[in-house]
Amino acid sequence: MRLSTWEFYLRETGRSLMRNRLMSLASISTVALSLLILGLFLLGAVNLNHIASTLENQVEVTAYLDDKLSPAANKELTEQVRKLPGVREATFVSKEEALERLKEQFGERRDLLAAVEKNNPLRNAVEVRTLTPQDVKPVVEELKKLPGVAKVSFKEEIIERLFALTRAIRYVGLGIAVLLIGGTVFLISNTIRLTVFARRREIGIMKLVGATDWFIRWPFLLEGICLGLIGSLPAVILVGRFYRWLAANVYSTLPFIPLLSPAQVLGRLSLLLVGLGILVGGLGSAISVRRFLRV
Amino acid sequence: MIEFRGVTKIYPKGITALANVSLKINKGEFVFLVGPSGAGKSTFVRLLLREERPTQGQIVVDGVDVGRLRPAEVPFYRRKIGMVFQDFRLLPERTVAENVAFALRVVEAPRREILRRVPQVLHLVGLGHKSRAKPAELSGGEQQRVALARALVNNPPILLADEPTGNLDPDTSWEIMKLLIEINRRGTTVVVATHARDIVDRLRRRVIALENGRVVRDEEKGGYTREA
Repeated sequence: MRLSTWEFYLRETGRSLMRNRLMSLASISTVALSLLILGLFLLGAVNLNHIASTLENQVEVTAYLDDKLSPAANKELTEQVRKLPGVREATFVSKEEALERLKEQFGERRDLLAAVEKNNPLRNAVEVRTLTPQDVKPVVEELKKLPGVAKVSFKEEIIERLFALTRAIRYVGLGIAVLLIGGTVFLISNTIRLTVFARRREIGIMKLVGATDWFIRWPFLLEGICLGLIGSLPAVILVGRFYRWLAANVYSTLPFIPLLSPAQVLGRLSLLLVGLGILVGGLGSAISVRRFLRV
Repeated sequence: MIEFRGVTKIYPKGITALANVSLKINKGEFVFLVGPSGAGKSTFVRLLLREERPTQGQIVVDGVDVGRLRPAEVPFYRRKIGMVFQDFRLLPERTVAENVAFALRVVEAPRREILRRVPQVLHLVGLGHKSRAKPAELSGGEQQRVALARALVNNPPILLADEPTGNLDPDTSWEIMKLLIEINRRGTTVVVATHARDIVDRLRRRVIALENGRVVRDEEKGGYTREA
């Protein structure tokens, strides 16, 4: 297609967007709102997923030991645990080490731990990694039977729940996104229908002087694509700002939550949102062009 | 140039608009198509533009069987026919030059050609000085000249005019007709569907008269009605 034709299309599209200012603005706002909500859900889902898999790779089972055991007994118990079937690794973690670790996780806010420093409430523990996730439950049972083990906690439940939550958020998010996108497509197709209606005279003349069907269709498709594209920009900007703000706050106050860094997420998310905007706009206008543009 | 071979058009509701019409219009001819309302003139035009297909028979234009054109071929076929209507059909928010250029843009003519052709054809219809006016600022006759310029800008071999003077006063009508004659003199085949009795009578060109969907008269140098 000729360059001058594209120029012509773009001018026509601009003209048409201006003529239908109010409807265009409404469409752009809905696109922005839908993509904003979708973007937030996606951020939630990828982060929960990330948190869950980070936790999964961490210690799976922790056996807290009786405080009264001697250091020798602690060592022996650790050896015993190491020999249990299904255990890949067993490490003794003293309560002092546990406190150090906690401090590290708190980072800048370690001052919060000053109060517990003198009277360490943590316990000595043996951290156990199993060979496979399926080994977790039998190992937990075995650990509970060992004398000197006060309490066994395993994070599988938490992880399971996190994954379940991730799935739920993903489905709910997907459901809401589908609804929103459906509504957006509908609104855009309505806007384009109005445009088609406003320009039926022009369309008639175009046909008369021998315009091909695609020549007539393109400006309408472009208009829809423009609506989608323009609408995606505020969504991208707002999602990006929000996430940077959130990440900065989480890093400084809750540093142990493994949030994905904005740099890791935002690039791809922005591309996705812009792409979806374009897709939704194109789809909306395609529907109207098919239904109302009898060429 | 244009040939109807036994063309019949029956609309879905059973109305017969054209019944077994056969006629031939040669290249470079100037033809008046006359007849009362409902005689089939509009159907004739719609068939030629391939807005409708004949129920029976064949229409051949410039060697092409119009009824058998594939939808994708129709736009290219229409570029052979310049079309003018009673109601001008200009785009009100565009200038005269833009209205004319529109026909060239739509067929994706190069910019250089648009810049060359538009002033040329506006000059031909005598509106070179009004290229930047909007249609509403023009008289009816001037608007019809713009429509004519738009129909001609692609250099179509055929010009089809449906009641081109229907909305114009007699003097203006006469000027538009003179323009059509001039266009015909330059080699374009011109077909004019009209009710303008005095013009037809005065010009004495070939007249094809339709009545109830049939050709009732086809006369060289004819008048609006049959001479007694």
